[in-house]
Amino acid sequence: MSQTSSTEEKLDHLKHYFVDSDQQFEASKMGMWVFLVTEILFFGGLFVAYIVYRSWYPELYLLASEELDTFWGAVNTAVLIGSSLTVAMAIRSAQLNQIKGLIINLWITIGLACTFMVIKYFEYSEKFAKGILPGSAYSYDGVEHEKANIFFSIYYMMTGLHGIHVLIGIGLMIWLVFKAKKKVFHSGYYTPVEITGLYWHLVDVIWIFLFPLLYLID
Amino acid sequence: MSGHHISSAKFLWGVAIALFILTFITVAVTWIHIPSPWNVVVAIAIAVVKALIVSAFFMNLYWDSKFNVLLFVMSVAFFLLMIGITLLDTLYRTDPIPSF
Amino acid sequence: MATNDSTTNVKRLQVRRYKPEENPETHYLNQEKGLWAWLTTVDHKKIGLMYLGSIAFFFFIGGVLALLLRTELLTPARSFMDADVYNQVFTLHGAIMIFFFLIPAGPAVLGNFILPLQLGAKDVAFPRLNLASFYIYVIGALFTLFAIVTGGVDTGWTFYTPYSATTGGNVMAMTLGIFILGFSSILTGLNFIVTIHKMRAPGITWNKLPLNMWGLYATSIIQILATPVLAITLLLLTMERALGIGIFDPALGGDPVLYQHFFWFYSHPAVYIMIVPGFGIISEVISTFSRKIIFGYWAIALSSLAIAFIGFLVWGHHMFTAGQSSLANMVFSFLTFLVGIPTGIKIFNWLATMYRGSIDMKTPMVYAMVFLFLFTIGGFTGIMLGALSVDIHLHDTYYVVAHFHYVMMGGMVMAFLAGLHYWWPKMFGKMYSEFWAKVSLALLFVGFNMTFLPQFVMGSQGMPRRYFNYIDQFQSFHQFSTIGAYIMGVAFLLMAGYMLHSLLRGKPASSNPWGSRALEWQTASPPDLHNFHHTPVVINGPYDYHKPMSEFQLGIATSHNGHHAGEAVDVSKTEKEQA
Repeated sequence: MSQTSSTEEKLDHLKHYFVDSDQQFEASKMGMWVFLVTEILFFGGLFVAYIVYRSWYPELYLLASEELDTFWGAVNTAVLIGSSLTVAMAIRSAQLNQIKGLIINLWITIGLACTFMVIKYFEYSEKFAKGILPGSAYSYDGVEHEKANIFFSIYYMMTGLHGIHVLIGIGLMIWLVFKAKKKVFHSGYYTPVEITGLYWHLVDVIWIFLFPLLYLID
Repeated sequence: MSGHHISSAKFLWGVAIALFILTFITVAVTWIHIPSPWNVVVAIAIAVVKALIVSAFFMNLYWDSKFNVLLFVMSVAFFLLMIGITLLDTLYRTDPIPSF
Repeated sequence: MATNDSTTNVKRLQVRRYKPEENPETHYLNQEKGLWAWLTTVDHKKIGLMYLGSIAFFFFIGGVLALLLRTELLTPARSFMDADVYNQVFTLHGAIMIFFFLIPAGPAVLGNFILPLQLGAKDVAFPRLNLASFYIYVIGALFTLFAIVTGGVDTGWTFYTPYSATTGGNVMAMTLGIFILGFSSILTGLNFIVTIHKMRAPGITWNKLPLNMWGLYATSIIQILATPVLAITLLLLTMERALGIGIFDPALGGDPVLYQHFFWFYSHPAVYIMIVPGFGIISEVISTFSRKIIFGYWAIALSSLAIAFIGFLVWGHHMFTAGQSSLANMVFSFLTFLVGIPTGIKIFNWLATMYRGSIDMKTPMVYAMVFLFLFTIGGFTGIMLGALSVDIHLHDTYYVVAHFHYVMMGGMVMAFLAGLHYWWPKMFGKMYSEFWAKVSLALLFVGFNMTFLPQFVMGSQGMPRRYFNYIDQFQSFHQFSTIGAYIMGVAFLLMAGYMLHSLLRGKPASSNPWGSRALEWQTASPPDLHNFHHTPVVINGPYDYHKPMSEFQLGIATSHNGHHAGEAVDVSKTEKEQA
C-alpha cells in the first residue's frame, strides 16, 4: 500500500470513479475472483456429468481410458505447471518494475501454452484417425462397451473447453506483451497482469483435475 | 491490505518443484495398482493438494483478503452441493436410465 | 484492513450539508448528446434505461403472445392456431418473459439505475463491462429472433431432452441465444458484488446498507453461482444437437433426467434471481411510505441470503414425476418446505413495518400491498406443490401455471412496477398521474385475479398445461381467464399511456417527492452524470425516519470529489477503509 501512495506515482491508469489505485486494484482482483467462481461452476457441470456416468459405468472408464496416453498427459501437466510458474514470475517482474523480465516471462508462458496445444493436437488427431470422434461420428470398436461414445463425448467436451480456455489465455498474454512493450505496466499498476495470471492459474488447476480423472484410471 | 504480496523467485520455484513432484507421484501410484476405490481417493487427494498449492501460493490466496478466499471456497462448496444432491438421485434409482 | 492511520484519519473527515439541487439544468439525460453518446455510454443510469427500453419491448412481445394463447383457448377446439403454432407461441412466451424480461428486470434495469446511487458511488466498479453486458443481451436477443424467424422453437422454455434434441425448428439458435444471455446476467452480478464490496460511500457500513442492496447482493450471488451451470447445460444441449454427444439423449445411451438436474440447478435459483430484487424494492417502498424504520432489518437482509442459499437445494421439486429416485424426491420435498421460512420472515417483517406507520397510499405503496397479497397466495400454493403426493396430482396442470404466475407476475412484476413507479421521478425528473396510475393498477389487479384464479380450479380438476384444446367442462373457466387477460392488456396499455404522458408533459418532480431518507433521494432528480456533486457521507441508517432530513444530506466538506486524480486526497482513503 505504501509504495502506491507516493506522490511521484503515475496515475494514468486510475479511473475517475475510483478513489485511489488500491481501491481499483482490489476491485479488479475481486472481480476476477468472482469470474473464476463462474468458471469453476461452468466446468463443474462437466465434472458432474463425468462423476454421474463414472458411478454408473466404472468399467467403461477403466476400458476407455486405456486409449488415452498417460505419458503425454503427464507431459502436458508438467508443461502447464511450468507455465503457471512463469506467469507467477511475470507478475513478480511487474511488481518489481522489471519490464524486460515481464515480457520474457510472458513469452515463455505463451510458448509453453502453445506446446500444450500442439501436444493436444497430436493426441486429438491420433484419436480421430482411429475413429474416436466426438458424438454420433464415433466409429471406433476397440472399446468393448456400449456406452464408449459417452466417455469420449465427456472427454472431448472437457478437454475441448479447457483447450479453448488455453487459447483465450494465449490471446490475453499476447495482448499483455503488447501493453508491456508500450510501458503501460509498472510497480504501481500491473492489474491486467495479475488478473490474467489468476485466470491462467485456474486453467492450470482445472487441468490438474482433468489429468488424473481422464488419464490415470488404472 | 496485503493485495500486493511479492513472492521471491526462490519460493516460486519451490512451489513449482513441489507440483512437479506431486505430478510424478500421482503417475507413479498407478504403477502399483492400489485396489479400487482407494486408487480414486489417492488420485483425487493428490489433485486437491496440488490445486490448494496453486491457489494458495501462485494465486496468492494465502495472503489475499478473506472474501476472495471465501469466493473460492464457495464455488467449490456449491459444486459439491450440485454433485452431492444429483447423486442422491442417480445412485438410488431403481433403473439407472429409465427406458423410453 | 483497519490500520492505525485509518483510525486517526477518521477524525479528520469533515462533513457539511449539501442540499440537493431542485430541477437541475444539466443532468445525466442531457449532459451527453446524440444517439452515439447513448449507445456508447458507460453511465450506469443510461445503461439501466437502455435495459428498461429493451425489456419493455420484450414484455410487450411476450404479452401479445400471451394474449394470443388466451384467445386460442376461448373455445375447446381449434380457434385460430394449430397445435404446432400453439406450441411455438407458448415456448416463446415463456422464454421471452423469463430470459428477456424477468431475469434482467430486477438487477439489470432497476439494479443498474439505483445501485450506485444508493451506495453513493459514481458508477459501478466496471462500467465498460456493464455496457458490454447490455450488448451481450442484445446479441442474445438477436439470436433468439433469428431462431423465431428460421423455424421457431416448440420445446417449451425448459428445452427438455430428448424432445429438444430431436424436434425440428431452430433450437440451436435459441439455446445459443440464451447461452449468450447468461453471460450478460453473469457480468451484471459480478459488477454488483464488487461494487457493493468496494464502492460504498464513507459511512455505509454493512448494517447501513439499504435492503434493496441486500436483495441485489443475494441476487448477484445466485447469478454468479447458477448461471454458469445454465451455460454448460445449454452448451451440452447444443452439442447434443450439433454432434450427438449422447450425454442427455437416451437414443444415444444418455440420460434425459440428468439434463433436468442440470437445467433446474440453474433454473430453480433463477426464479430467485427474478424475485429477490423484488423483495429489496418492496422493503424500500414499504418503509418509505410507512414513514417508519423498517422492522427487523437484519431479519430481512439475512433472509434474502438464506433464500438465495436454500434456492440451490430444492431444484428437484420440478422433477417429482420425471423418474428420479424416491430418496431424492423425499429430500427435495423436505428442503422445498424450508424456503417458506425465510419468505415468511420477510412477509411478517413488512407487515410489522406497516403496523402503526403513517401509511401514505401512493401508487408504489399500493403496488407493494398488491405484491404482499398476490405473492402470499403464490407462495402458499408453492408449498402445496412441494408436497410429494399432492404434486403427483397437480404436476403439469394449470395449478402449476397459476402458481408461478402468482409468484412471478403477482410477485415480481408487481414489485418491479412498484419500483418503477417509486424511482420514476428520480429517473426522469417527472411525476406521473397518480389517478391514472391507480386506475391502471386497479384494472391490473382485477384482470390478474380473473386470469389466474380460475386456473387454480381448472388445474386441480385436471386441466393439463401446454394443451391447445380441452374438454368442454373447462370452457367457462378458460373464457373467464381470457377476459381477465384482456383486462390486464388494457391496464398495461393505460400504463404505457400515462408513463409516456409523464415523460412528455409530466409535472417536474422534486428531488425527494416521497420524503425518503435513502441516499438516492439526496441528489437531484434526475441526477448528475456522476450521481453526486460531492462525496456523500452517511451517518444514519437508510430507514431512520425519526431523524431530521438534514442529517441525511451530508458530504465531505472539501471540494475534492474524486474526479481529478492528481488532486491531493487527504481523507478519501479512510472513507474506503472505514466502509
